[in-house]
Amino acid sequence: MGRLILKDISKKFNDFLALENVNFEVEDGEFVCLLGPSGCGKTTILRLAAGLDSPTDGEIFLDGKKIAGTNKECGFVFQEYALFPWRTAKGNIEFGPQVKGCSKEECERISRHYIDLVGLRGFEDHFPHELSGGMKQRVGIARAYANKPKLLLMDEPFGALDAQTRNIMQAELLRIWEKEHISVLFVTHSVDEAVYLADRVVVMSARPGTVKEIFGINLPRPRIRTSPEANALRDAILRSLGSEIKRAASI
Amino acid sequence: MKNSLKILLVVILAILAAGCIGGNKTPQSVSEPINLVKMSGQDMVQRLGTGEIAGFIMWEPYPAIAMTNGYGKPLLYSGQIWKGHPCCVVAYDYNWYKNTTNADEILKRMALVQLKSVEYINNAKETRSPDHEDLIKYTMEFGGMTDPKAANLSLSDVEFVYAPNIADAQTFITRIQDFGIFDSEKWNQSGYKNASDYANALINKSYSDWASQNKNANLTSVALKTPVTIRYAYLVNDIHELPFYVGWKKGWFKDAGINITLSDGTPFQNGAFEMQKGFKSGVVDIGSLGIPPVIIHRINSNDFTIDDTRVEVVAGMNNEGSVIVVGKNITSMKDLSGKTVGYPGPGTIQHVLFLMEADKEGLKVRY
Amino acid sequence: MKVDSGKKGLVINLLSLIGLVVLWHLLVILARENIFNIPFIRLRDVPTPVETWYALIGSLFTKTYGPALTVGILEHTQASLLRVIEGGIIAFIIGVPLGIGIGYSKPIGNVLNPIIEIVRNMPPMAWIPLAVFILVAGGSIFIVFIGTVFPIILNTIHGVKSTDLRLIDAAKTLGASGSQMITKVIIPSAFPSIIAGLRIGLGVGWMAIVAAEMVIRSPIGLGYFIWNMGELGRYPEMVAGMIVIGVIGYIMNISILLLQKRFVKWVD
Repeated sequence: MGRLILKDISKKFNDFLALENVNFEVEDGEFVCLLGPSGCGKTTILRLAAGLDSPTDGEIFLDGKKIAGTNKECGFVFQEYALFPWRTAKGNIEFGPQVKGCSKEECERISRHYIDLVGLRGFEDHFPHELSGGMKQRVGIARAYANKPKLLLMDEPFGALDAQTRNIMQAELLRIWEKEHISVLFVTHSVDEAVYLADRVVVMSARPGTVKEIFGINLPRPRIRTSPEANALRDAILRSLGSEIKRAASI
Repeated sequence: MKNSLKILLVVILAILAAGCIGGNKTPQSVSEPINLVKMSGQDMVQRLGTGEIAGFIMWEPYPAIAMTNGYGKPLLYSGQIWKGHPCCVVAYDYNWYKNTTNADEILKRMALVQLKSVEYINNAKETRSPDHEDLIKYTMEFGGMTDPKAANLSLSDVEFVYAPNIADAQTFITRIQDFGIFDSEKWNQSGYKNASDYANALINKSYSDWASQNKNANLTSVALKTPVTIRYAYLVNDIHELPFYVGWKKGWFKDAGINITLSDGTPFQNGAFEMQKGFKSGVVDIGSLGIPPVIIHRINSNDFTIDDTRVEVVAGMNNEGSVIVVGKNITSMKDLSGKTVGYPGPGTIQHVLFLMEADKEGLKVRY
Repeated sequence: MKVDSGKKGLVINLLSLIGLVVLWHLLVILARENIFNIPFIRLRDVPTPVETWYALIGSLFTKTYGPALTVGILEHTQASLLRVIEGGIIAFIIGVPLGIGIGYSKPIGNVLNPIIEIVRNMPPMAWIPLAVFILVAGGSIFIVFIGTVFPIILNTIHGVKSTDLRLIDAAKTLGASGSQMITKVIIPSAFPSIIAGLRIGLGVGWMAIVAAEMVIRSPIGLGYFIWNMGELGRYPEMVAGMIVIGVIGYIMNISILLLQKRFVKWVD
């Protein structure tokens, strides 16, 4: 469950070639981070996987099913949270179950489960504007999970958070992921974050975006952010990424 | 959010329901008041024709026009409401009077022309009269009519007079008081002891007396030595004021040494406008209008130390001459209950007459 | 208008109102004593605040003088308000769906936008002759409708168009269908805008109703009242009616603001 395959993906916006021949997979239950210089099309890949856009060339499969139109089997977590401001935390989490037509009791049960899971108990009835950034993203994650997706697409979900909250949220995310075990495709531009979170890191090249290198990370979790192995990996990824950033800057 | 939307919906529905109840509560019971609604004479004729109003009370020629068009029938002539009631009068502005040295002489000649015009009209009303055709022409011009039949009909129920009547003015004052049209506070401040006191202050009979003493005099022989110019005002298409028009068109004012220019705003839509936009604004020296506006605006004026709404009556114009005209299915005043009736405006003679008739029949009128 | 919530602000607010009344009184008195007058205004005819107050108290309730029913300010206010509410409800029922349609669908927008752009630039007052001469009934309500519907439509369009695209994406990935998108995302998101449109619209409607009532044939309504009183030369009652019109308009505005606060808790 939750195997994503991107096959020869290209994406053109008018005349601008954003992605060219992107090929990679997210295995069932795997945590994959997408790294790359700004504007290399990381977010575009997520949108393609979610079916919010369609590729100009190539195909995307989730569990062998070709994605055409909005992919309702994936959960999307946005950098700016994208919570419904007129719904409480609980209301946001119940959105997915509600549009699917779950009964009131079922919605309640689901939201209670995920509120507990992301540690939002006591904040159920708060509106988004009453919550801190970290809290909002907990709601965002719970809302995505509550929809029972096969795949979680996360677009720099912690990008807007301060460093400390960010670290906490990363740990929290891993805890939740280990419990629910749903595949994750996670966009970030923090190498640190990628090394801490991912099973594999896909490094992308700049315009047009394509897969440059893939790093497997076999370190056991919870990882020590400053362990020699982590440092070595970070160096390798940074080197791969660094040349791309330079190239992107010179384009 | 869902709940608040629901609540809002309920509120809106509740208001809607309230609105519907409000909109439906016009049962046609006898106790429903008659609604008097202000409109122009032309509008009255047209709306009676389309059935939007059940009737109207208006000065001639509008009743005659409505009747000759077959839009309505007379329910009551104003002479049936009050036999021989006074209607339009000639009045002068008191500020003009104070600032004009030979004002008395001017007013005497105004009254004399009025007398001669009234006598001319009364003779020419006879179809055998050699002047009849001319009179009908004047009537159609002044009344804005195209149908000589309507002109004849409109003249038939107007009684033209030149002498003002103090006793009848007093009756008007009393009725206006009864009907709450005066500001009672203002009446107390005005300094008039009673209706008779006020009527006597308002009407000056000396000019019409002079005119009747000199009724056989030739106008040119009594003409003012130096001609004067008078800014004159009258009401739109009001056949009651035909004596002015005849005197003007015949050149009799000029013969008496009075040049007539029409004031700013003439013709006025009703007496209230002539009082406020004419006399009070100081653009009218002498004008013709219904007697109730003259009575009302002096009292409702804000300040009795100045004379801007003080006008005095020199001569009469006419008695009677208004008609309650009604459409189909109306045979009595009671039938007008809960219905809409056109009238020329609050405080007009037609307003007061209508209230008098309603009073007789025990009906209520909302205006 | 927002009243300062602080005590000091409230005092200043009150003082400003008192100042206006004092200035008004002074101007009238000075004109009546022939000391000072503003040219082209018959200030001496303006009632003093005290005269106006007594006129207000004296004309609040409907009175009967023999056959004559002199309708009180309260009944006139009720009639005018009812017209505004009825016209406003019709405008809301028609304006909101139209606004959603235009804002959400390009083809609908292309068809309706030119029409709305022309018609909305005809002020409600410009419709009064039509209401007088062509409409047989409901003229005043129609004028309110014209005044109210366009602010509602335009604000609804604005609300719909400014719906956060990420919210639409989020709802899509969460499985919302087209109609669920409208009911569960577009409408709630546009709701504050819609209410703002209603508030502006009712303000315009209130102005329009007063103008319409002076012309449209009905013996009841505040516009009718002030015109009638003016025509009778009863200026204290006329000015009292004008003040009531202002106060009611203010109360309407404030109550919708409060309603909005009550129902839209999520806007910071």
